[in-house]
Amino acid sequence: MAAKLRAPGWYRAGAFTLLGIAFCFGLTTLIRALYSYDPLIDGYAITVVAMLGAPFFFLVGLGTFDYWFYWAAGRPTRAEDHSSHGAKSWRDYFKVNTDHKVIGIQYVCTSFFFMLVGGAMAMLIRAELAAPGAQFVNAQTYNGLFSVHASLLIFLFIIPVFAGLANYVLPLMIGAPDMAFPRLNALSFWMLPVAGTLMLLSFFAPGGSFATGWTAYAPLSTDAPLGQMMFTIGVQFAGASSIATALNFLVTIITMRAPGMSFWRMPLLVWANFSTSLLVVIATPFVAASQFFVLLDWALGFNFFNAARGGDVLMYQHVFWFYSHPAVYIMMLPGFGIVSEILSVKARKPIFGYRMMAFSLLAIVVLGFSVWAHHMFVSGMQAWIRVPMMITTAIIAIPTGIKIFSWLATLWRGVLKLDTPMLFALGFLTMFTLGGISGVMLAMIPVTIYVSDTYFIVAHIHYVLFGGSLFTIFAGVYYWFPKMTGRMYDERLGKIHFWLTFVGFNLTFGPMHVVGLQGMPRRVADYAEQFAGWNLFISMASFVLGASTLVFVWNMVASWRAGPKASSNPWRALTLEWQVSSPPPIFNFDAVPTVVGGPYEYGVPGAVHGIFNSPVEAKPAGSLVTRPTKE
Amino acid sequence: MEAASVSHLEHDHHGPPEANKSSRVDPAMLGMLLFIISEIMVFGAFFTAYFFIRVVNTDSWPALGQEIPWAIAGINTLILISSSLTLHWALHSVKSGNRFAFKVGMLSTFLLGACFLFIQVNEYIHLGYSPTESAQGSIFYGLTGLHGAHVFIGLTLLLMVTVRAFRGHFSAEHHRGVEVPGIYWHFVDVMWVVVYATIYIL
Amino acid sequence: MVVVGVIASAIGIALGLWIDWFPAQASTQAKEIDTLWDVLIIASVPVFVLVMVVVGTAIIKFRQRPGEELKDGPPTHGNTRLEVIWTALPAIIIVGLVIYAWQVLETIDKKPSSEMVVVVTGQQFTWTFEYPQPGGKPVRTNQLYVPQGQSIEFKIKSVDVIHDFWVPAFRIKMDAVPGITGSYRITPTRTGDYAIVCAELCGLGHSTMRQTAHVLSRERFDAWMVAQQKGAAS
Ligand code: HEA
Ligand code: HEA
Ligand code: CUA
Ligand SMILES: [Cu+2]
Repeated sequence: MAAKLRAPGWYRAGAFTLLGIAFCFGLTTLIRALYSYDPLIDGYAITVVAMLGAPFFFLVGLGTFDYWFYWAAGRPTRAEDHSSHGAKSWRDYFKVNTDHKVIGIQYVCTSFFFMLVGGAMAMLIRAELAAPGAQFVNAQTYNGLFSVHASLLIFLFIIPVFAGLANYVLPLMIGAPDMAFPRLNALSFWMLPVAGTLMLLSFFAPGGSFATGWTAYAPLSTDAPLGQMMFTIGVQFAGASSIATALNFLVTIITMRAPGMSFWRMPLLVWANFSTSLLVVIATPFVAASQFFVLLDWALGFNFFNAARGGDVLMYQHVFWFYSHPAVYIMMLPGFGIVSEILSVKARKPIFGYRMMAFSLLAIVVLGFSVWAHHMFVSGMQAWIRVPMMITTAIIAIPTGIKIFSWLATLWRGVLKLDTPMLFALGFLTMFTLGGISGVMLAMIPVTIYVSDTYFIVAHIHYVLFGGSLFTIFAGVYYWFPKMTGRMYDERLGKIHFWLTFVGFNLTFGPMHVVGLQGMPRRVADYAEQFAGWNLFISMASFVLGASTLVFVWNMVASWRAGPKASSNPWRALTLEWQVSSPPPIFNFDAVPTVVGGPYEYGVPGAVHGIFNSPVEAKPAGSLVTRPTKE
Repeated sequence: MEAASVSHLEHDHHGPPEANKSSRVDPAMLGMLLFIISEIMVFGAFFTAYFFIRVVNTDSWPALGQEIPWAIAGINTLILISSSLTLHWALHSVKSGNRFAFKVGMLSTFLLGACFLFIQVNEYIHLGYSPTESAQGSIFYGLTGLHGAHVFIGLTLLLMVTVRAFRGHFSAEHHRGVEVPGIYWHFVDVMWVVVYATIYIL
Repeated sequence: MVVVGVIASAIGIALGLWIDWFPAQASTQAKEIDTLWDVLIIASVPVFVLVMVVVGTAIIKFRQRPGEELKDGPPTHGNTRLEVIWTALPAIIIVGLVIYAWQVLETIDKKPSSEMVVVVTGQQFTWTFEYPQPGGKPVRTNQLYVPQGQSIEFKIKSVDVIHDFWVPAFRIKMDAVPGITGSYRITPTRTGDYAIVCAELCGLGHSTMRQTAHVLSRERFDAWMVAQQKGAAS
């Protein structure tokens, strides 16, 4: 037992968590004693401090910091024996692991877990909304449900699942043996369960879960019950995780590309994650700061948002949206990358206008920082900001349009293999266009003034996030499933999943445009009689949509356990990840490949993207073991 | 469930192939620079709050009847700036192989930094107003406190470097472990000059 | 394919214009906004149809057929002419829409010669309305009464958290923000009773923060006002 408690792992993590709570208890009480506060022991204060502090103890206990502690103390770091590379049984996925492939799978599975939980909450939302009046949850619970629904799906599903997929395939695609900072990579992952657990635990907090929407506008959030802090603090952990991963991607892409892999030979998925990471590194600190302000106002009585004492309520929204608008591109650009990979391979044609595809990504990154106030057209901010924001917002349609049309041109005269990944990619192409067009409508101020905060927005949200991001995620998961698991998924179930989802999705979210235009506000547990018909219809459709997800889960689990073995390159793709075995060898490549051409040269006779020399040819024998020592 | 990779177990004894270096910049240094961009944005958000409270709301600065001790903070600024100089000296010394000067440099940098933090805390205690009275107070404590937290992080990094310096680590060839935390410390110092200028002087 | 596209666009636009998307139209501003919506439908249906038709055609014409498992498409890498067109065309559409929307915004914001002010105050979870009286105590009510044909400026305040003052029939909404007085104006065109909806999440009672706006004819409104003034005086 004592040995178990000393070695990194779940036992030590549990013990450390308890220790951390005790420490935070002591610290809080000590400070209160110094200030001679009364009462000395304040449950709320202790809980908030513990929510901030205990996760660090947990992470230390789990072992994410061990190496750095040795390093910092100047002790000899334990030689890297690579015991934490690869996974030999499912148990290894529950340990701190520095292998990007293992971390990728950890990310994807964890975030899909939160997707199911968040989706189940959507089912409860729809059940409540099936008829006017209260069905079975009260207003507090209802507000909590959609707040947690959105927070989980945004912060713990869409953003991390993209990071997870890229974690797995990006180093392989650029011919790198791992990410630049494998230990930081592990830490990034393990912050996610912390954030998710906090958000879920909020349902057990006195006063109920946080219930101020995923936007958590002050001053509603600054005098909400304790559960609000679990959002505020959870977002800090999710945000820190996202920044660390983005930094890791950027360094990996810049410094670890294979020889010959110039920027203009990178697959578009790499470009997409490069752009996304720039967004994350620059924008995410703003959401962290906005939640710091809330935390300070809530817990220590600061006045950032207290208008009576000189605070500024709208400042919250400016800071929040300066992150959260770029965040919608954080949630979309990696999907653009996935779709580019799939469309090119499945249409057997090079990506049309490769350079413009990369440039338009960068254009979206730059423009994305100049449009945040389009979420504030009715917020009462200075009127003159509106028109410039309308213009910049509408301009984003142009680079996005370039991407859409280039994909269409990629399809044209190709040889389209309409299997599950391709179906989801095509579903994305059409449904995202619809969501993007409703976005352009929202940019037109007079229209937004009417439809803002109605179900028209809810429709836009889901067309871009479900029809856009989630479709690309499904496409990506099917596409790389053989690579990640070494097994094929069931194509028939995949197609059933697609059609159920596609139809269920449109029947659920399409009519929301209509009820929104008719004047149904969002974020309400109860609504006027006139909307009853459509809402019942939407709820029924949403249950079909929910059920379709079960087909997906079943397909994934069953195929991973017992699907037919996958060959190394079932799609006949050119990019590097398909040139190694499925699943890839433990260190990705025996020797780093050399890139000699573009990634999408389908149809060009004899084209290759990368060449693989056997290690013996590439380097004198034995050179693999001797790594030059570096500081 | 199949394990992710068993096929190449026979290679387990050796490490991964050396990654190709596709850029001359050092990964750790690049990582630190990107992290600093993130940090600048955190400060940017706090400055946004400051801008809204002071400029957009046209509230008096500082709140009526309060004073900000710009002179003491000015001395503190000098202390912090000199710590940047000693750090530079330390790095220079390790590069030229002068271990003694390196150790002295690291130690004095650390002490100067700690001194800054000590004066800052004292300032808080004697300031005579609190963040709960006005939004101006909130952002004063918010910005200086945020910076103080960064000084604390910087000091932790410096402490590690100092400990390792005294344990005989680093040499004229291997000093990246000094350089990278060093950049961070310089960033913290420059940030303070900006904070000082906007909060105390303007 | 072009024919299919044109027909589908025509049907789509016709349908979009025919469907009655909005609730009752009860202000001059509503008329402007509804027209802008129609213009947006006309502009966006063809864009969506274009994407759908190209994807549909590709699926039908270019799908992999048995025996083509190893076939590749032609290696076209790009076409500058096409790329210029599909950058310029959306740009033109966007410029047109933005200019028109700006125009509409100016129109609905325009201050007419005579205007009546109503102060709207939101609090959890109700609205109160004040009619300032020259040289007297303002008239305060819990129901909104406004005269038909008169431009009204709402001055919007909040005493606690953010609310949003919205009468769907008038189309315009604006947040009620603590510490700020917002404002917008509308001119009611139809007498009747319309719902007032709080459109910003403000806590537990958000979905029940509903009142009624009564648009009265000028005479009836004046009579109501006189009665209110008397009530306030006594
Ligand atoms: C993946 C996420 C995602 C993406 C990609 C987008 C993309 C866009 N969004 Fe959306 N948006 C959200 C997620 C997203 N949004 C969310 C979550 C909210 C609500 C937040 C909340 O309040 O809770 C929101 C809210 C929101 C608002 C605020 C509404 C309000 O609350 O009042 C606005 C207003 O301008 C807007 C606009 C846009 C625009 C112009 C785009 C553009 O980027 C779209 C560009 C794409 C296209 C236009 C389609 C392809 C282009 C062509 C085929 C070319 C030709 C087209 C034309 C000429 C029109 N969005
Ligand atoms: C990626 C993001 C994402 C996704 C995928 C979804 C998915 C869904 N959303 Fe969500 N939604 C948002 C992001 C998302 N949403 C956001 C940002 C908001 C705004 C919140 C706010 O106002 O603050 C919102 C708000 C929102 C509302 C408005 C609430 C309100 O304003 O009052 C509604 C109402 O119908 C809704 C419904 C749905 C439905 C039916 C789905 C369906 O697609 C879900 C389908 C179901 C599943 C995928 C799960 C099925 C699984 C099971 C049934 C088994 C469960 C198993 C286990 C628990 C192990 N969503
Ligand atoms: Cu008041 Cu919602
Ligand atoms: Cu936005």
